Amino acid sequence: MQTSTKMVDEKTGRYLPFIYPEELPFWEAARNRKLTLQRCGACEKAWYPIGPACPYCFSTKWSWAPMSGRGTLHNYVVYHKAWTKWFESRVPYAVVQVQLEEGPRLTANLLDCDLKDIKIGLPVEAAYEDVTDEITLVQFRLSGKSSRV
Amino acid sequence: MTQVAHTLRDKTAVSGVGLLLGDFPDRTALSLAIDAYQLALDDAGLKREDVDGVIQLSFGSDYDRFLEAVGTDVRYAYQGWSHGRFIAPMLQQAALVVESGMAKAVAIVHGRKRRAFGQTADTEMWRQGLGPHGESPANGALGPVYGAAVAAQRYFHMYGGSSEDLAPIAMALRKHAQLNPIAVRKSPMTREDYLSSRWIVEPLRLLDCCQNNDGGACLIVTSAERARDCKKPPVYISGMQGVHAGRQFHNLTLPGLGVAQQEVYNYTPSKEDLYAYQMAGVTQKDIDFLITYDAFSPLVLFGLERFGFCGPGEAREFVKDGRIELGGELPVNTSGGLLSEGHVVGWNLFIEAVRQLRHECGERQVKNAEICQYGSFLGETIIFRR
Repeated sequence: MQTSTKMVDEKTGRYLPFIYPEELPFWEAARNRKLTLQRCGACEKAWYPIGPACPYCFSTKWSWAPMSGRGTLHNYVVYHKAWTKWFESRVPYAVVQVQLEEGPRLTANLLDCDLKDIKIGLPVEAAYEDVTDEITLVQFRLSGKSSRV
Repeated sequence: MTQVAHTLRDKTAVSGVGLLLGDFPDRTALSLAIDAYQLALDDAGLKREDVDGVIQLSFGSDYDRFLEAVGTDVRYAYQGWSHGRFIAPMLQQAALVVESGMAKAVAIVHGRKRRAFGQTADTEMWRQGLGPHGESPANGALGPVYGAAVAAQRYFHMYGGSSEDLAPIAMALRKHAQLNPIAVRKSPMTREDYLSSRWIVEPLRLLDCCQNNDGGACLIVTSAERARDCKKPPVYISGMQGVHAGRQFHNLTLPGLGVAQQEVYNYTPSKEDLYAYQMAGVTQKDIDFLITYDAFSPLVLFGLERFGFCGPGEAREFVKDGRIELGGELPVNTSGGLLSEGHVVGWNLFIEAVRQLRHECGERQVKNAEICQYGSFLGETIIFRR
């Protein structure tokens, strides 16, 4: 896995995430269908966004730690305006914030979920979406849903 | 308790303003900035040689090109990041520079084109750790509107209500714009018009979002003493406090709403959160009209609650029944604001405060206006008085 500052996938026209050097372990784990975040060795809290020190106690003694992948749907909005051509066939789509059991909130999409089923407070679990041969996004599904693609 | 610099109260003033708004297809950001500068110099009765400080923000003409074109040298120049939350800090900086003697007259100048080459806005969504409004392009979380939409959704989740509660805000500001000759959006707006406007990012509709336009703006800050010798009556800078920032202060959001990594709680400002009133020697009751950053309609709710004009969750009721309209209990954004007057980063909001306090606003004049507060969701504020 390599760093990347490519904004758009030329093949599909889809927006891509930048892969920053210090975030490689997160993206490598995602590719392997795992959710990993930084956890502080001093105060034991996990955090997001990824950064060089623990934002709770400012310790730099941290390590990458597996997360349960379980969380709660904390917030959502629904995009009706398509920003680029790629989004034209996707609108309306939801963007959600998921609060992980471990505390941090991630920004993601819900896979295999009708907009009418989205409600704040629902339990969700991590799911994975390959967007290129290299890059996999950490997404979520409503808990208890089968993992059909 | 925060010790505030009482000595800054009424030490500096806005002496001149200039504003252009609308469509200028054949103009560049630089020429719009220079037009606004000439208007402000003329408004103040100053000459370019009188100005020895220049502050600009990015996304428009840069300070160095501006000064080359204007043909004057200054002893104080600064250029910041163009975001609405930084307009108050820039005006504060101008006041501090003048007060400290680093310059005698500071011109804040901006020219902008709605589409221009090399704007940071085109790339900032890919910033490490989400964009400045929480954007995540790969997830389709796009544009500044995302930050306002997630905040509004949490607000409604915590306090009840729905996007319909935003209608009185959009309608009030449109009414104000109809009394403003230079406003960009002036067509009448009924509740039905509001409710039938298309979703952009639900819970926000098209009419909850400001439009982008071309424009130029300039404010000239001098000492209070010097302002009294200028052409127009001075508008004093009486109190100020800065942009609050950190994990509890996400952009386009009130603290406590649980946006991004914010904690969830009911936000009520403490005395500590309101030290600008202490500096100015006033309270909320003295504020004749409020100007707040309204790139999206929910931000008006947040501005009102941030400064304690309403309790947590109460602003959505407060904005009803004409309370924020001209003639109401607390008129808000009397020019029509960014939602209906137009968007020049927000400088036009300050210019409205100045013109109201000079009693230059004709049909939309707030009667006997003496004190105006600019205050927004991140706690940044400037209290002006005539």
